[in-house]
Amino acid sequence: MNTVINEVKSQRAGDSYYKIKHSSGLNIYVYPKEGYRSAYAIIGARYGSINTCFSRDGGEKITVPDGIAHYLEHKLFESAEGDAFTRYAETGASANAYTSFEKTCYLFSCTEKFDESFEILLDFVGNPYFTAQTVAKEQGIIGQEIKMYDDSPDWRVMFNMLGGMYHNHPVKIDIAGTVESIAEITAEKLYDCYNTFYNLNNMVLCVAGNITVEQVLKTCDRMLRPNEKHTIETYFEDEPYEIVEPYVEQSFPVAVPIFNLGFKEKADSLSDERRLAQIGILLSALASPTSALYREMLDNNLINSTFSFELFEGPGYCSVIFGGESRAPKQAAETIKRYITEVKKNGFTDEDFENAKKAVYGDSISDLNSVGSIANLIADYHFNGNEIFTYIDAIADTTKADVEACLADMLDVNNCTLSVVKNAEE
Amino acid sequence: MSQINRKQLADGVFFSSVRDGRFKTMKISANIIVPLSADTAAANALLCDVLSHSCKAYPDFTALSKKLCSLYGADLSAFVRKVGDHQLIALSAMGLDDRYTLNGESVAQELSRLLCSVIFEPNLSDGVFVEENVEQERRQLLDSIDAEYNDKRLYAIAQLIKHMCAKETYGIKRYGSAQQVREVTPQDLTNAWKNLLKTAIFEIVYVGDSAPDKAQAVFSEAFGNIDRAPAAADTQIIRTANSVNTVTEEINVAQAKLVMGFRAGTALPEKEADAAALMCAILGGTANSKLFCNVREKQSLCYYCASRYDKHKGIMLIDSGVQTENIDKLKAGILKEIEDMKNGVITDFEMDATKRAMINSFYSSNDTVGGIEAWYTAQLFDGGFTTIEEMAARIGAVTKEQVIAAANKLTLDTVYVLKNSEG
Repeated sequence: MNTVINEVKSQRAGDSYYKIKHSSGLNIYVYPKEGYRSAYAIIGARYGSINTCFSRDGGEKITVPDGIAHYLEHKLFESAEGDAFTRYAETGASANAYTSFEKTCYLFSCTEKFDESFEILLDFVGNPYFTAQTVAKEQGIIGQEIKMYDDSPDWRVMFNMLGGMYHNHPVKIDIAGTVESIAEITAEKLYDCYNTFYNLNNMVLCVAGNITVEQVLKTCDRMLRPNEKHTIETYFEDEPYEIVEPYVEQSFPVAVPIFNLGFKEKADSLSDERRLAQIGILLSALASPTSALYREMLDNNLINSTFSFELFEGPGYCSVIFGGESRAPKQAAETIKRYITEVKKNGFTDEDFENAKKAVYGDSISDLNSVGSIANLIADYHFNGNEIFTYIDAIADTTKADVEACLADMLDVNNCTLSVVKNAEE
Repeated sequence: MSQINRKQLADGVFFSSVRDGRFKTMKISANIIVPLSADTAAANALLCDVLSHSCKAYPDFTALSKKLCSLYGADLSAFVRKVGDHQLIALSAMGLDDRYTLNGESVAQELSRLLCSVIFEPNLSDGVFVEENVEQERRQLLDSIDAEYNDKRLYAIAQLIKHMCAKETYGIKRYGSAQQVREVTPQDLTNAWKNLLKTAIFEIVYVGDSAPDKAQAVFSEAFGNIDRAPAAADTQIIRTANSVNTVTEEINVAQAKLVMGFRAGTALPEKEADAAALMCAILGGTANSKLFCNVREKQSLCYYCASRYDKHKGIMLIDSGVQTENIDKLKAGILKEIEDMKNGVITDFEMDATKRAMINSFYSSNDTVGGIEAWYTAQLFDGGFTTIEEMAARIGAVTKEQVIAAANKLTLDTVYVLKNSEG
């Protein structure tokens, strides 16, 4: 296969980038930013905490311990010669990695010696080194990372909510797993996962900032060998439309209770750019600080400035989450549900719609400000089969009727879960 | 790096601007600086929230939010923090650059005017702040004070500072105390506002593509009618700790927290602050630091163990999360790394790698609006601006002997432990 390069331009954003299908099978995006000194590179695999049961090329189903994708992320930094951080120390780059529900990403940013840092990135991500000894060493470190999250009320309130919404989907399981589940991880299991998911055809590379296409391809051509394309299947048990339970609560040492109210949505396919634009405008019109809902909840002392909302979506799961600190979470949840019912009946005002559209549009352009934000966004859009400039145009083209039609089929007030963490005495 | 242009508009009022066409957004901030004081901190903090959420033209939160939303989701934010013995109240407006609006509107100019309005033309009724607005902000500020306890890592650090600096001005919280926040009246708030306009130092910082002349003129005119008598504070620096104070608190937590507070023996404007900053980064500021490589990677004791140096106050903090039974082991591990540095166990690799990492982060900051603003705002107390190139040269010139000397100035003052009551 030859390398194919396409330029993608946006009149509205005043930017352009290059989308490349590399001869190795890797999908590459290069987004040069004129006048920038820094560059940011991120390589990610379509592989996250939810991929715990899978097969390759129609072979046997493999089930692996919860938290293994995150564990693999930690261990990939190591090689026989030492760890990647030591190598980055020679170039001055700032490196990191993260694992989410559906992807694992490795990144660095630098202001000089890009080529050297880029080579380190491709090298350690492409060459796993797992031994019984190195795997054992990580138990204590990740064990403490898990404990740290166990003490995070924001984290707990979200996972309790996911447990209240999803019967079977692994999105309800903590990304890092548990101290018990990670004890099951072995070097062999890590290789099984690596060899399945860390195939260049299943990965994306995004580079933004002070770089050129030629520069990126030169290193890729040298470092990456063609990967044979495999069919990867991840198995999820059937997930009913209905939630598990409408209310979950946990006692926790907090001074202000926290709530998450999650509306379980249909998750047959991932939203395209048009639908993302519609939902973005819809949620902004519904619950942003300009809305009548926000005003009512403030006046009744139900929320404070921590109140927020998001579309939470990935393979096989989709929900809309409202949350924040509240002294009266149940009342806040009831108010949100009542308001949604009213808006479904009466629609939005023109002013609400126009303001929300402008705000969502402004945010989408502002996101193209920093090299880190650009590279991460493009990776996210790639994994969901979307394109960022198409999304910006879709916002500009969205009408009030589109948004109201979208709302009619969402936010079912009889299919939501309220999760609360609060002090035992309250 | 992007050049900054600084002008004095009135006594203690400065307007600094950076023109840069690389970004999609612009930002203008008013940094209002006063001496930190137990008598005024709470009123100032509450005032900051009230000001940022309403003004005469947009008299409540919803009206102002709608205006901001119509300006392409522009943001008007407020925060209060401590810089040494100063209280810094920052009101910032950030929005889309004019080139990217759908209908050619000018967001930058409107936002500059709006920022000026919230500071100089607040929503007053009979000359005092509107009670309803004050009560709404008071409730939310009290929530955010309480919420400090929700995040145990931040809570542990705050507790360390509270105990370590109990007898110093720096021990006052950035918002005073919850009790004081409860007691502030709308009249107190009005007095605090008038007092700020008269006595605070105003540092206005603008970063954006369009010319700042109009924004500057708006501020210049607003200050023209105000009788100014600005006041500044000197930060108290305690150079050495005489003994170690250990504080233990028990809460139902899954992971214990260990925070150690050191007197660094040097602070700005002393030259040695550069060496102290590098010393702190070698110890626990990067993924190649002594703490990361030894207590995390070799001993597998923790997920994070980081050190930070407050160059204004001259203190260094180390914080980590750990199993209760490993607290003593972790503490010993941390002290060993510091002892090593005092004895000169620092490799050339550690020196060079840490310098590179620091210099990389300096240069990276020049590629975002927030980074440029933060670079200069951080220096508002330093008596003049240093460019990235100058700062990089200064860090690059620090010698190993200077780092060893900086380590030898460290004295442990306070150890704070948060652990499970059953642990």
